[in-house]
Amino acid sequence: MESVTHKATSGPSTRIVSEFADDPDMRDLVAFFAAELPQRASVLAEMAAKNDWAAIRELAHQLKGAAGGYGFPTITEQARQVERMATIAEDVERLRGQIDLLADMCRRVVGPDDSN
Amino acid sequence: MEATILVIDDSADIHRLVANRLKGLDVRILSALDGRSGITLAHQYRPDLVLLDVKMPGLDGFGVIRELKSDAATYNIPVIFLSGEEETQAKVLGFDLGAVDYVTKPFNPSELRARVRAAIKSKKLMDMLTSQAMLDGLTGLHNRRYFDDVLRRQVEQATEMAEPLGLALLDIDRFKMINDQFGHPMGDQILQAVSRVLERACRKQDLVCRFGGEEFAMVLALTTLEETGMIAERLRIAVNQAGAVSALLGHPVTISIGYTAMESNRPDEAECMVQRADDALYLAKTSGRNQCRASAECTGTTATAA
Repeated sequence: MESVTHKATSGPSTRIVSEFADDPDMRDLVAFFAAELPQRASVLAEMAAKNDWAAIRELAHQLKGAAGGYGFPTITEQARQVERMATIAEDVERLRGQIDLLADMCRRVVGPDDSN
Repeated sequence: MEATILVIDDSADIHRLVANRLKGLDVRILSALDGRSGITLAHQYRPDLVLLDVKMPGLDGFGVIRELKSDAATYNIPVIFLSGEEETQAKVLGFDLGAVDYVTKPFNPSELRARVRAAIKSKKLMDMLTSQAMLDGLTGLHNRRYFDDVLRRQVEQATEMAEPLGLALLDIDRFKMINDQFGHPMGDQILQAVSRVLERACRKQDLVCRFGGEEFAMVLALTTLEETGMIAERLRIAVNQAGAVSALLGHPVTISIGYTAMESNRPDEAECMVQRADDALYLAKTSGRNQCRASAECTGTTATAA
């Protein structure tokens, strides 16, 4: 039940907001997690450029376990996909595509305070 | 239901999330970011529950649970695995290795709370059963099994640290006559009343146990032979003067005490100490009862208390 809003202005950027954005108990925690996600996106891109699939697998594994708990189930889903593909690391071009998608999702997350 | 939970997970995100999701439960949360430091914390704090991540760099969750379960100090701590949802094989292996449950990541908050609560409740019940197995049903004092355990550990520790350790055996005088004359229910009441007096009259750090029948045993940590004699004499007088005891029979009850101690500069053994205290108790009985006697030598020689 992820709320997704389309920006009126430019292209494909859809904002991703936590399911728990309105949960007062979770607000600060979600904000903290969301604020770190762009940094993780950069690391994902960096590791992909180095073909470091072990590091990618590790990062994806952590995102998979945590993101859903912070109210971002679509990121967990995408991270699962990346983790699985990085484990085999066969179709590298497709894997890169999936990593890009994951990194992009991380960048599109907005914290509870910026969601409206 | 105050409880300590140890969370072992390499992801700080998970630690923050678990702490938040367990808010409101009466729990203290300890955190370890890798398996090795998790094991160290488990030893140090003996938590009531471990939430354990499966996949971690270095020592993984399976390695951690193997170590916890193969160590008597941590064997009884329940473990709940935090696992990814598709890791069915991992869940099965986790149960095989002794986990009580698993929670799938990303976890549902109320499910996590429910599983944690259930695991802690079972642990508390188990603790209660374990402690009851160490108690004497009639008197509520610790039983012989517990005494044997504690004495063995205290002797080891006293030997290692070169500290003194006192031991006393106490026996109610003419208890068979009480049973014969007033019946066994009265005998039971006397045992209970004497137990309360002994508990009150000893020091906080002394351990009083029911040794068997009408006999009690007391372990006195960091206590020399002379000090043990003083405490023994205090107990003898306390029982003799206890109104709650004499009121039952219409006359006072007396006890005989044999005691011994392990001196700081000489290694000793639990069995040998019990034997000496028993020898001294025999001497107290044959010398007219209602008195304290000491035995300092393991050879069976006994000496009269000062």
